[in-house]
Amino acid sequence: MFHPESMSRLLIVASKQQLEPVITELYRMNIFHIDDYIEKGDDEWEGFRIGMPLAGADVTSAALVKIRSIASAFGISKDDINESERSSILELKRRIEQDLPAIAEEVEKLLSNRNRLESATKEYEQKIDSLRPFTDAPAPLELLQGFDTISFIAGYAKEPVNLSVPHEKWESSSKTSNLTILAVKNSDVSTAEKELLEFQFQKIQIPQESGSASQIIQEYGQRIEELKKEIAEISAQMETIKNRHEFFLMSSEEFLTGDVEQAEAPLRFATSEHAFSVTGWVPSSKVSKVFENMDKVCAGKVYVSELEVEDYNEMPPVEYHNPDFAHPTELFMDLYSRPRYTELDPSLLMAIVFPIMFGLILGDVGYGTVLLVMSLGLRSLVRGSEAGMQLIAILRNCSISSIFFGIFFAEIFGFSLPWEPFWLSRHINVGGSGAAEHGVAAAEHVSHIPQLLVLSIWIGILHITLARLWGVRNAAVMEKGHHGNLKMFANIGWIMVMWGILIAIWANFTIPLMPDLSGTPELFAGLNISTIAGIVILVLGLVFIARENALDLLEIPTIISNVLSYTRLIAVGLSSVAIAMVTNFIAIDMIINPQLANLSILGVILIIAGLVVFLFGHILNTALGLLGGGLHPLRLHYVEFFTKFYRGGGKKYSPFGMIRKLTEQN
Amino acid sequence: MTAETMTVEIAQASAAGLKAIGAGIAVGLTGLGAGIGEMSIGAAAVGAVAENKDIFGIALLFTVLPETIVIFGLVVALLLMFQ
Repeated sequence: MFHPESMSRLLIVASKQQLEPVITELYRMNIFHIDDYIEKGDDEWEGFRIGMPLAGADVTSAALVKIRSIASAFGISKDDINESERSSILELKRRIEQDLPAIAEEVEKLLSNRNRLESATKEYEQKIDSLRPFTDAPAPLELLQGFDTISFIAGYAKEPVNLSVPHEKWESSSKTSNLTILAVKNSDVSTAEKELLEFQFQKIQIPQESGSASQIIQEYGQRIEELKKEIAEISAQMETIKNRHEFFLMSSEEFLTGDVEQAEAPLRFATSEHAFSVTGWVPSSKVSKVFENMDKVCAGKVYVSELEVEDYNEMPPVEYHNPDFAHPTELFMDLYSRPRYTELDPSLLMAIVFPIMFGLILGDVGYGTVLLVMSLGLRSLVRGSEAGMQLIAILRNCSISSIFFGIFFAEIFGFSLPWEPFWLSRHINVGGSGAAEHGVAAAEHVSHIPQLLVLSIWIGILHITLARLWGVRNAAVMEKGHHGNLKMFANIGWIMVMWGILIAIWANFTIPLMPDLSGTPELFAGLNISTIAGIVILVLGLVFIARENALDLLEIPTIISNVLSYTRLIAVGLSSVAIAMVTNFIAIDMIINPQLANLSILGVILIIAGLVVFLFGHILNTALGLLGGGLHPLRLHYVEFFTKFYRGGGKKYSPFGMIRKLTEQN
Repeated sequence: MTAETMTVEIAQASAAGLKAIGAGIAVGLTGLGAGIGEMSIGAAAVGAVAENKDIFGIALLFTVLPETIVIFGLVVALLLMFQ
C-alpha cells in the first residue's frame, strides 16, 4: 500500500552446462526480471562477454516468422481464440515438424495466386480507366495510331483549340467531357504541342487497343468479374484453412515465441569460456522460491546469492503493490509515469478520490445507472485488452459513486427525486416561475451553490496539503543530505503559506462552511490577532521556500489558482445539471405538456418530436458528463496533485517468462 | 429616465439584469480565452495522436488544460447569479 512491491537483487552463477536448465526454469517461474549485461562501461566484468544464443535458435525463429506471416495473412491473433483446451508440447512439436511446411506451402501458393489475380484485376481496371474517355471517339482505336505520316494527339482542352499548322480536329459533343482529338503531320507535332500549351491542353495517352472503346471496356469488365470470382474462391479456401488450423497456428506461435525468447536469453547474460552469470530482480517474497527451484533443476551445481542493494537509485524495476480494487487506477499512473521504487505510489488514494470527484461532478442516479449498465455491457467487448478492462472497472466504480451522489443530491436525469437533497442542494431554478406552475414546488429550488463551491475548495485545500506532506516524505526518503532537508522544509513552507493565506482570509471575511476568525480581538492598526498569526505563518513559509530556491517564490500565485481550480468539481457538475434541466424543460414543459393538455394529430407528432429532443439532450449530456467527469478529476490529479510531490519514471517490472494461454507448461 | 422616477422595483430589476450581463460576460470572455488556448493545443494534439495513437489520453488531457480559465469564469458567474 502506497509502496511498490519490495524487490531483491539476485545473482545466479553456474557453469555453462547448466545454462539451459537455468533458463528454462527461470522462464517457467516468470518472476525474474533480468538486468541486461552491458559489455562496455562501468558495469563490465573483466573476462565476461555477452552470451551466444542457444543452439537451434535460428531454426525456431525461422519457423516463428513463417507462422506469424501466415497469421497476419489470415488476420488472426491470440485474443480471438476462446478454446479452453491447451495443446500439449510434444504434439505441437510433432505437428510443427510435420504439418507446418505443408500448411505454409499451401498458404503461400494461395496467397501468391491471389496476389497475381488481384494485380491482374488492377491492370484491367487501369485499362478501363484509360479507355473511358474514348467511348464516343469518332473512329475505332486502331485508326487513331500507327500511321507513318500522321500523328494523333488526344487530350482535354479548356477552350476550343485552334492551331496554325494544318490539322484535323474532333471535339467531343457530350457535355460531361471536352475531349479533343487532333490529327497533325508528324513534322508538325512539336509545333502543335507547343501551341496547345496556350489552350491549357491536358494530353492523354491513346490506348494501344483495337476496336471501339465501349466494347473493349465491356470485355474487360467481364474479365474482372471472372477474376473476382476466382479471388473469392481462393479466399474461401483460405477461410477453411484458417478455421482448421487457427488453434494450431496460434498455440505453436505461443510455444515458439517462448522457445525463441529462451534461446535468445544468453544475449542478456554475461558469459566467460566455461561459466555464465546473470543478475536480476525478484519480488522479495519469492526469493526463497528461486533458491529452491534453481538448486533442484541444477542438482546443486549453481550459485545463487542475494546481492546487497546499496543504493536504491540503482532503480529496481517497479511492480505495483495495491489492494485489488486499486488495480484499475494503475492505468492512470502508467499514463502519467510509473512511480520510482522509493517513491510513494498514489494509486490507492487515486482509486478512492477519483470516483468521489467523478460522483461530485456527475451526481445523478439516472446517468450513473446508464454508465453502470454501459460498463457492464462493454465488458465483453474489451476482453483480452488489459487496459480496456481497467478502464471499464474505473467506469464502473465511477458510476457507482455517481449513483451514490445522485441519491445525495436527489437527482435523476435532471428531475428531482421525491426527497430533499441531503445537506447541500444543487437544484437550479430552470424555467423560472413557469416550472412552478407545472407542479414543481418552489422549495425544491433552494440551492446551496456558494456552499458547494466552498466545499470543493475544501477538497482542494486538503488534497494539496496532503500532496505537500507526501512531498516532505519523498524528499526525506529520496534526497539525502543538506538538499534533502531544504526540500523537506520547502514543502512545509508551501503548506504554511497556503494555510497562512487561509487564516488571514478567515480573519477578515465570513465565508460559509469555513471558520470565522473575524471576531478575534484587535491587536494594532486594525489588524486582529488571527490576521497577524496568518501573516507570520505566511512569511515563515516564504522563508522556507526561498531557502531552497528563491525563484520558486514566483510560483506563489499558483497556490490560489490551484486551490480555486478545484471549484471545477462543482462548476462542471452544475453545467451538467443545467443541461439536463434545460432539456427536460424544453422537451416536457414547452413541447409535450401543452400538447397533452389538448390532444390533436399534429400534437402527437409534436410529442414524438419532444421525446426525440429529450433523448438527444440526455444522450449528449451523458457523453459530456462522462468526458467532463472523467477528464477533470484526472487533470486535478495530474496537474494540481502530482506536481507537488510526484516525479515518476520507474522502470516497469517485466519478468522473464510468459503467461501461457494456449499451450501446456512443459 | 431620471433619478427621481426610478422606483425601488426598477432599481432591483436593473441590478438583477446587470448581474446577469456580468455573468454572461464572465463566461463568454473566458470561453473565448479557453478557445484560443485550446486552438493550438488541440491542433498539436491531433497531430501527435496521428503519429502515435498511444498518447491519446495524454493528448486529450493537454487539450483540456486551458479549460481552467473558463471554469473560473463559470464560478464567477455562478457566484453572481446565486449569491
